[in-house]
Amino acid sequence: MSHLLDRMNFLQPKELEQFSDGHGQVTRESRDWEDVYRNRWRHDKVVRSTHGVNCTGSCSWKIYVKSGIVTWETQHTDYPRTRPDLPNHEPRGCARGASYSWYLYSANRVKHPLVRGRLMKAWRELRATMTPVEAWTRMQSDPELRSSYVATRGKGGFVRASWDEATELIAAANACTVKTYGPDRVFGFSPIPAMSMISYAAGSRYLSLIGGVCMSFYDWYCDLPPASPMTWGEQTDVPESADWYNAAYLILWGSNVPQTRTPDAHFYTEARYRGAKSAVICPDYSEAAKFGDVWLNVKQGTDAALAMAFGHVILREFHLDRQAEYFEDYCRKYSDFPMLVRLDERDGKLVPGRFLRAADLDGALGEDNNPEWKTVAIDESSGSLVSPNGSIGYRWGEQGEWNLEERASGSDVSLMMSLILDECHDEVAGVDFPYFGADASPAFSTGDDRPSVLTRNVPIRRIKTAEGETAVATVFDLFCANYGLDRGLGGDWVSDSYDKDVPGTPAWAERITGVSADKIVHVAREFAYSAEKTRGKSMIIIGAAMNHWYHMDMNYRGVINMLVMCGCVGQSGGGWAHYVGQEKLRPQTGWLPLAFALDWARPPRHMNSTSAWYAHTDQWRYETLTTDEILSPTAPEGDWDISMIDYNIRAERMGWLPSAPQLRTNPLAVAKSAKEAGKEIPGYVAEKLKSGKLSMSCEDPDAPENWPRNLFVWRSNLLGSSGKGHEYFLKHLLGTDHGVLGRDLGEEGRERPKEAKWHEEAPRGKLDLLVCIDFRMSTTAVYSDVVLPTASWYEKNDLNTSDMHPFIHPLQAAVDPAYESKSDWEIFKAIACKFQEVAPELLGVETDIVALPILHDTPAEIAQDQVRDWKKGECDLIPGKTAPNFVTVERDYTAIGDRFCALGPLMDKIGNGGKGISWETGQEVQHLRELNGVWEDGPAKGCPKIITDIDASEVVLMLAPESNGEVAVKAWEALSKTTGRELEHLARPKEDEKIRFHDIAAQPRKIISSPTWSGLESENVCYNAGYTNVHELIPWRTLTGRQQLYQDHLWMRAFGEGLMSYRPPVDLKSITKEINLDARDGSPHVVLNFITPHQKWGIHSTYSDNLLMLTLNRGGPVIWISENDATEAGIVDNDWVELYNSNGALTARAVVSQRIKDGTTFMYHAQEKIVNTPGSERTGKRGGIHNSVTRAVLKPTHMIGGYAQQSYGFNYYGTVGSNRDEFVIVRKMRKVDWLDGEAKTKEAAE
Amino acid sequence: MDRTLKALSLVLSYPTQDLKAATQEIEDILDLDRRLSGTTRKSLRQLVQELRSRDIYELEEQYVGLFDRSRTLSLNLFEHVHGESRDRGGAMVSLLETYRAGGFDLATTELPDHLPVVLEFLAMRPPLEAQEVLTDAGHILEALSIRHSRRKSPYCGVFAALLELSGTKADRAAVTELLGQPEIDPDNLEALDEIWEESEVRFGPDPGSGCPQARDILARIDEPVRPASGATTH
Repeated sequence: MSHLLDRMNFLQPKELEQFSDGHGQVTRESRDWEDVYRNRWRHDKVVRSTHGVNCTGSCSWKIYVKSGIVTWETQHTDYPRTRPDLPNHEPRGCARGASYSWYLYSANRVKHPLVRGRLMKAWRELRATMTPVEAWTRMQSDPELRSSYVATRGKGGFVRASWDEATELIAAANACTVKTYGPDRVFGFSPIPAMSMISYAAGSRYLSLIGGVCMSFYDWYCDLPPASPMTWGEQTDVPESADWYNAAYLILWGSNVPQTRTPDAHFYTEARYRGAKSAVICPDYSEAAKFGDVWLNVKQGTDAALAMAFGHVILREFHLDRQAEYFEDYCRKYSDFPMLVRLDERDGKLVPGRFLRAADLDGALGEDNNPEWKTVAIDESSGSLVSPNGSIGYRWGEQGEWNLEERASGSDVSLMMSLILDECHDEVAGVDFPYFGADASPAFSTGDDRPSVLTRNVPIRRIKTAEGETAVATVFDLFCANYGLDRGLGGDWVSDSYDKDVPGTPAWAERITGVSADKIVHVAREFAYSAEKTRGKSMIIIGAAMNHWYHMDMNYRGVINMLVMCGCVGQSGGGWAHYVGQEKLRPQTGWLPLAFALDWARPPRHMNSTSAWYAHTDQWRYETLTTDEILSPTAPEGDWDISMIDYNIRAERMGWLPSAPQLRTNPLAVAKSAKEAGKEIPGYVAEKLKSGKLSMSCEDPDAPENWPRNLFVWRSNLLGSSGKGHEYFLKHLLGTDHGVLGRDLGEEGRERPKEAKWHEEAPRGKLDLLVCIDFRMSTTAVYSDVVLPTASWYEKNDLNTSDMHPFIHPLQAAVDPAYESKSDWEIFKAIACKFQEVAPELLGVETDIVALPILHDTPAEIAQDQVRDWKKGECDLIPGKTAPNFVTVERDYTAIGDRFCALGPLMDKIGNGGKGISWETGQEVQHLRELNGVWEDGPAKGCPKIITDIDASEVVLMLAPESNGEVAVKAWEALSKTTGRELEHLARPKEDEKIRFHDIAAQPRKIISSPTWSGLESENVCYNAGYTNVHELIPWRTLTGRQQLYQDHLWMRAFGEGLMSYRPPVDLKSITKEINLDARDGSPHVVLNFITPHQKWGIHSTYSDNLLMLTLNRGGPVIWISENDATEAGIVDNDWVELYNSNGALTARAVVSQRIKDGTTFMYHAQEKIVNTPGSERTGKRGGIHNSVTRAVLKPTHMIGGYAQQSYGFNYYGTVGSNRDEFVIVRKMRKVDWLDGEAKTKEAAE
Repeated sequence: MDRTLKALSLVLSYPTQDLKAATQEIEDILDLDRRLSGTTRKSLRQLVQELRSRDIYELEEQYVGLFDRSRTLSLNLFEHVHGESRDRGGAMVSLLETYRAGGFDLATTELPDHLPVVLEFLAMRPPLEAQEVLTDAGHILEALSIRHSRRKSPYCGVFAALLELSGTKADRAAVTELLGQPEIDPDNLEALDEIWEESEVRFGPDPGSGCPQARDILARIDEPVRPASGATTH
């Protein structure tokens, strides 16, 4: 007989208790009188926390708690003061954040660990007789067993599991994968650490300890602008929003500040009250457009043409017809304008080539160290060639001359920007520039039939090099020619009037962009005029909108050119303000060791996600874009006719981009055989790669040995929000129902890749295990095998920073995690400890080999001044120089849990650092021993403890210069040595300041200035990027050391992007005759450009399933469409419509609005598939999400590596997942089917 | 102790082997309770028998699918009356205080408004008080009962039983409101459209009518606090 009925399950009787060793006793007398006071306030504590959502807001909130239940939240108003004259920061917060507690107890919350029923059943049966690793191995070796749960992904069927069971299953899967295939087959994806650094670090620390792969996010989201590293050698360093207030002129370009930067928008308003003028540039009548003094409704995707025309006007009026003194002085010192570029002969014509280097000249200008990495200019006073301080050659291998002082070889110089004067040039010669304006697809065509090469006259000088005579020109002279400015040198394709339709002029841009030429001239003039009067206080706030196009670099470089021409970068109130998707992790160098377990082993495995997903979701098998569509007509001779994945393979092989997995053979096995052969590892791997005994995984992504096997997704909704090519993820990576409508290259009979191995049958279901860690049942969760309930943002302790303000502040556990949930830190700690328990059966202390690409900000970054492929015999395979390095890492798989919870010995031994500088950190480690306690014995004996999330926060705060003044001083000292300039003064006044977790719990704290970033936070200035470059003469971390507007890498020139120009959107050909059934049937429809901006009712997919936000919007997926397009397709407002192309289909309501430009449709990113999404008539499956009609396409220029600023860095440089060049067919749905009958298989989204 | 309420708390809990083992006892208790109608007892018998005989994994999947994944079938009572509104926190606090006043502390990770928790508590209270609480929740119970029977869920008898135990009829109007609001009837497309329809904005003369959107917003503000109408899963 069971006692279940007599036992209490949920309640326990209250008893008369004693406490404090009998000194206190619980009494039973009435305490009703207290209710009066309790009810007055209705809460018994207020806790500071924030919303760790992917949003730059980073607002501090008060969380009101009563009896252990969150009752509501309000905005905090206690940010540290700003300077006199500057508005303060509060209030920060928006409607989305204010609805968060209403989410906390939502029915959509994940309450228990969930496991797919069939997986759980099989696992328990096997576990009854087997050890965990035996059970997992058995399950994977039985194809029927494996597919029983793989094919049901997304179709419901979850059962609850205990934490012990769930973590054991995961740990066993990880251990078996490490043993069978290698640790680089365990992937983890989590974005934007800044929003909850410790939660991110929990997963990445675990992965790094076992040798797993941490995947990037910023590039994958396509919020990463490659133009930023190209120009500055830095990724997205931007002004804080308070600095908008200091601007004299503000352009909002594709950024909808009032809607998407809600807590910061007040600075924009206040700047306008102060007298700043503002131009808003966006195709639709957005909320921001209402703020503009002028609104330029540019045609989507043509921003580069507009930027070019702006630049044309600025050059004409402020650099040529009149030289604004401030601009000229700024450009001479801080841009590459004076640097000399070699002009190569090609078919008897001149084409801009590489920067002239000291090594090209006889005697190398006396430079022995890195002469091939020192660029050359002409000194005005002497007229001779000099190698000015600050280029990257000075950064490595020597000290003291890597600075922006106007000096070369120890003497003062003044660099010549232009050879225009007769005495300065030897001749005027025609130079070829590529022109892409005539390549536009029909939707963007203006009937332009100009040739693809425009020859323009440029003043040149002929100089002697070691190899003979060569022509050179300054960047500035090439730049002016490229913008189509007539400088009295004769020749074609230049203009002396704004009204002539010559590429570069306002009249030309008017035809492309639809913005009238007079408005272009007006805005350009005001922008530059304001900058001249205020010494650079013109600012451009820019959103990801412009970065999501395939040719995003042209848009961004067009904007950056304007800012540099007008001396705005590095000046308070000026500069480039790109706020998207990165959110500055201010204490970065303190966080890195914790996050990537650098305290135990270096280097970690980092992967650029775009290339990884492109390969592993088999999107490359459907590639429609060919090289000849994007290659420059002026490309140097070369083997360019290969596909996008082939370029990526070359890039991985040459050590430019990372790889995951790395080698086809398990690296643990490779290390073993090297040892057996008695060889040192890098040489052994190089030899085997050359002989073909070993091969890189990238060459055959569909071979089962090269699949990613385990994937963790945490703090992310990869499938519901950011999975470009969503349907390809479902089809190939997950192996479940999908909506891909098109056919692959094999089925289509088109040309296949040359380097990537083609399998006739594409794999389906590459992942053995998909684990999602979330607090809500997101789209990713419904497709996962295991769903772990995580603590929400009021239930854990963590750190939060943003680029929008200079404060660091916490998330705190106002209440215990609801239901069975645990914080990410506790979850990964539990998995790590489980791993330690189950793994010893298979794994001990093992040697792993990490293939490391050539990294930016390391001495290796000047590896390849020429492009040579070892596989083609163009050079030898030298690890770390012509190929990835192969680094040995020892891993103790029997101590993963112990290591997770301790700060390892390498911090003492090697120290810490970042961005090319390093410092010792022994004292900080000692402080942490004292603060967190020390492990007395075990594998981490003598190490500081990191047991709780607060311990982990203290590690970050202690090690980071931004939160520990002593470290800041050390960091500045290190940079002083390299630059030869005294810099410690920037941190000395704060040397004794140490920010602890309890300090930020009391009040947000302002960070301490550190050389990790290029801005200062002081009594004099707001944080603004490039400030220390301009004011402390620290070089930008580029080849020239200056803001680099000319890009001379071979691939940049080959793809026509040495200089900025307008390139129309590419044609992705996703609407074919076979796909467009509506055209075939003659039924009403319209074909539109598909745009996915950020919404007002959610932060990505978060809040998009929150009833309050849904109620404010239309309560489910919607698309926006113009009145004219709606009429054409027979659609009225609120109709159900279907959008589809070869990538898939989605269903939504139509919002018909005058706000939208004809030819486009908006679908706000990212609306959940789990809410109100009916079936698609095209696919017969539930309608997809916005990414169902997209597919990622790679661009070769983003793969460049081993070349100064164009070297790989995690979330710094790499391929990006652009998605705005896509078109869709929009049609009205005939019948709405909710697919909610009892189906044969259960449906994803109940 | 009211063993019927306790038994109903158990059958509404996540299925376990322990629960399967106790099904005979539960069946006996429910079968003997004359407060329940014959139909209800039959329906409960079927449920308990299903719990006893069906594969545990199927039972678990069914339970997660019904109660963890469907907002409209949530066992958290306040989900249905307060939704995600601010009132929910306060309501849970009062409920927690009611448990404490009744001599109990919450010893579960479930929230106080989780129906099995409420039932376990009521099982320990005087019958009149239990009846009163069930009567208060009558409209939710009836709505849940109807939703379950629409889905042909085996659990519908539990809610019918609770209504019978309350001894009164649920407030018709309140039930209709609950049923009308959140759940979308997939077969009635026009009704579906009505939920989402916005008032038409008309520009031009007719100043007397004012801005229709502002008028609608003001009208909405005047309404008493009630669950956020709007989207729902299905």
